Amino acid sequence: MTELLRLEKIRKTFPGVLANDDVDLEIRKGEIHALLGENGAGKTTLMNCVYGVYRPERGHILWKGQPVEIHQARDAIALGIGMVHQHFMLVPPLTVAENVILGLPSAREPLLDLRSAAIRLRDLGKQYGLPVDPGIPVWQLPVGVQQRVEILKALYRNAELLILDEPTAVLTPGEVEDLFKVLKGLTQEGLSIIFITHKLEEVMAVSDRVTVMRNGRVVQTVNAAATNANELAKMMVGREVFLNIPKPALPAGEVVLAVTGLAAQSDRGLPALKGLSFEIRRGEILGIAGVDGNGQTELAEALTGLRPATGGTVAVSGHDVTHASPREIMDLNVAFIPPDRQHTGLLLTFSVGENLIGKEFCRPPFSKRGFLQERLIRDFVTGAIQNYDIRTPEAATPAKLLSGGNQQKVVLARELSRRPDLLIAAQPTRGLDIGATEYVRQQMVAARNAGTAILLISTELEEVLSLSDRIAVLYEGEIMGIVPASGADVHEIGLMMAGAKRLTSAAPAVEEAA
Amino acid sequence: MKPSTLWEQFSRRLLERSFNILIPLAAILAAFVVSSVLIVLRGVNPLTAYGALLSGAFGSPNALVTTVVRLTPLVFTGLAVTYGYRSGFFNIGAEGQLYLGAMVVTWIGVTFTTWPGWLLVPVALLGGALVGALWALIPGYLKATRGFNEVLTTLLMNYIAMQFFEWVIRIDHFGTTAFGWLGLKDPTQPFPKSAEIVPAAQLPTAAGLLTRLGITVSTPALQRLTLAALLALVAAIIVYVILFKTTTGFRARAVGVNPRAAEYMGVNVPRTILTTALISGALAGLAGAMEVMGTQHRVISNFLVGAGFDGIPVALIGQLHPLGALLSALFFGALRAGANKMQIISGAPIAVIYVIQSLAILFAIAGTTVELRPRRRQPAPNSGPAAPEVDHA
Repeated sequence: MTELLRLEKIRKTFPGVLANDDVDLEIRKGEIHALLGENGAGKTTLMNCVYGVYRPERGHILWKGQPVEIHQARDAIALGIGMVHQHFMLVPPLTVAENVILGLPSAREPLLDLRSAAIRLRDLGKQYGLPVDPGIPVWQLPVGVQQRVEILKALYRNAELLILDEPTAVLTPGEVEDLFKVLKGLTQEGLSIIFITHKLEEVMAVSDRVTVMRNGRVVQTVNAAATNANELAKMMVGREVFLNIPKPALPAGEVVLAVTGLAAQSDRGLPALKGLSFEIRRGEILGIAGVDGNGQTELAEALTGLRPATGGTVAVSGHDVTHASPREIMDLNVAFIPPDRQHTGLLLTFSVGENLIGKEFCRPPFSKRGFLQERLIRDFVTGAIQNYDIRTPEAATPAKLLSGGNQQKVVLARELSRRPDLLIAAQPTRGLDIGATEYVRQQMVAARNAGTAILLISTELEEVLSLSDRIAVLYEGEIMGIVPASGADVHEIGLMMAGAKRLTSAAPAVEEAA
Repeated sequence: MKPSTLWEQFSRRLLERSFNILIPLAAILAAFVVSSVLIVLRGVNPLTAYGALLSGAFGSPNALVTTVVRLTPLVFTGLAVTYGYRSGFFNIGAEGQLYLGAMVVTWIGVTFTTWPGWLLVPVALLGGALVGALWALIPGYLKATRGFNEVLTTLLMNYIAMQFFEWVIRIDHFGTTAFGWLGLKDPTQPFPKSAEIVPAAQLPTAAGLLTRLGITVSTPALQRLTLAALLALVAAIIVYVILFKTTTGFRARAVGVNPRAAEYMGVNVPRTILTTALISGALAGLAGAMEVMGTQHRVISNFLVGAGFDGIPVALIGQLHPLGALLSALFFGALRAGANKMQIISGAPIAVIYVIQSLAILFAIAGTTVELRPRRRQPAPNSGPAAPEVDHA
């Protein structure tokens, strides 16, 4: 295969950060090339250098063997490079055709030429298997189709190389499959594709070759057929990572959380939870697996008093809390790691210290007759920052200035330092790099070993599998089945996640309780 | 991570803090500079005009007291707005709350004419605060329980309050009409004007206090300097303490920053909104009380239009900080106090001060977009793969 794009010794720094360090990369004609790496490994930065968003400080870019200078996105587009960003660059009120020709000269200047654009779009859609109605406003399209529009936009500009930045992050499993089919079709037409991702399964499923990046450097480029997911994970992280943390078997404790027939509505007033029943015991982690948007958010909020239950009961340590306020539930020693630390978990403009006492500030010893006890608070905050290794310039630094991992540590410190009886952890590692992920998981297992009952809601199946004692699968607001994690059949869980299988005994499997 | 030295921490703090003060100061300075162009166009030397303004505001004990008298209600309305804004309750209704506060204080001051001062003054102050608080509680309740936008409700309730006041001021005090008990108008006067509140209901003056201590002073200025100024200072300190040193303030600020996160942390958001409305309204009501009990001793039709609305720019230029409101009220008070002298001496029209005031607000708002980020130390670039966790965000 002939070489299409070659990067030689690309180097790009941001103040204090070496984002790309002498990166070499070769893309061949007609291949799907996966760029694999953790958050912050430098994948997107590298591609932004190719697309003209950033200018590398050093190194060369060769396009079809010729050295080229790419100063801005326009140059990249002129060469035949198209990029689909993680966050789509579409104008929602405009139609598909209008979005596609935006920024291009019209054949009939100064008049618009929407008709010929629409004809060409239909042809392109047929050719590549990307059917879209050119006359429909973009905002009316589902996310998967919007992505199709982005790809068409690049094809319309005669792209030969398509860069996709984390294209599956916003897609449902079905849409992911469709996308992969389209991508394979595109390569048969001679296009090359760079596919940025941090998901190993996707790399194995779709790519021809893989380049693994870590800390701004290329670790290795390998043929996908000649490697496997484990090997890639090791390259990606640089060490043997097992986010599987060993858990000692604990004797079954008393029931801490008992949920029967819980129902709740989504923000749009549609039924989101349809009669869930499960229980969690002391020292047990119950993992909720499922594709995002199947009621995870609603479940966490209903259990913590942030969303009214429309049916069923919730009991914590024997107290009925179905209609209790967040404060009342909290007072039963329930901790909650919310799915979005930025909007719910933290007061971003408040200091790290204020966030650490965010739940306990109104209780002794932190408050006395309504006044905050600054010295005691300072002592506690200093201790928490040390114990949980929160990297912050000082306790008075606003939480918004911390990195995602350290922000999550603030949440973790606040929730776990109360030694909770029940912890509801929703997406506790979302958006964290692997080191922070490992840390969060260790802390959760430690809490479990200390007797905390944990409900782990995560859309990362791997996380649920590695942490849970038992696994419940959530699909469209219903539990498809609850299975013990040891010896769980991943294939079976996958079927349940897709709604294709339901265990007959949907009641919690608690034989082992005896 | 390397811990920064104590000195570094201190100097950065100092920089951050003083930066907060520098923005409004720079805004005020810029406002004076730009306004000088207007003055030049009038054929007046801006330095002469500003000199006269300054001397009218601070040049003599009399000028100084005038400034203090002018700034006192602004401190209270500024604090009302500051506390509300900090806590997510955008109180645009200080004007109405102030009018009702003044109304109730006057009513008490002309009704309980036989009460002694030690009883009448606190009762009147309390009455003024209470009516302001209750008036603000209505939009507070609507926001807390029904999600009504308080900007609209507080704004519109101003006009209800002011028209109510205008009605009351036209009814003879304990006259024979149906609402005579409510009336404020002095029956002996032909105009919509109340009688003067009894001396026992007036705030003690500096001159009065000194006389009681056996010191006789002949400075007329001290007769106009009352306890109200001191109460304004005390109020600013109290609001500061509530906001930053108590759980009430913590809750209020949390709701102001992010009600969703506050709720998640167990704060009762509706109740916090109600508390905020009460405190904010009480402060605005006190602004009216201070004006009546300290300065005017009576109310007339349209007696203090704008002082409540001016609380908004006072709070904004004060960087939504209680002590900032104090300083910014000083700026507003000084402009008002010096305006006359500026016009008389230099011929620059009084309207200039409104230009200065407006420009200062504009520049202060523009200044909030300038942000000083503490410099963050980044990890060394070649920390290598051995360091598993290097968070660059």
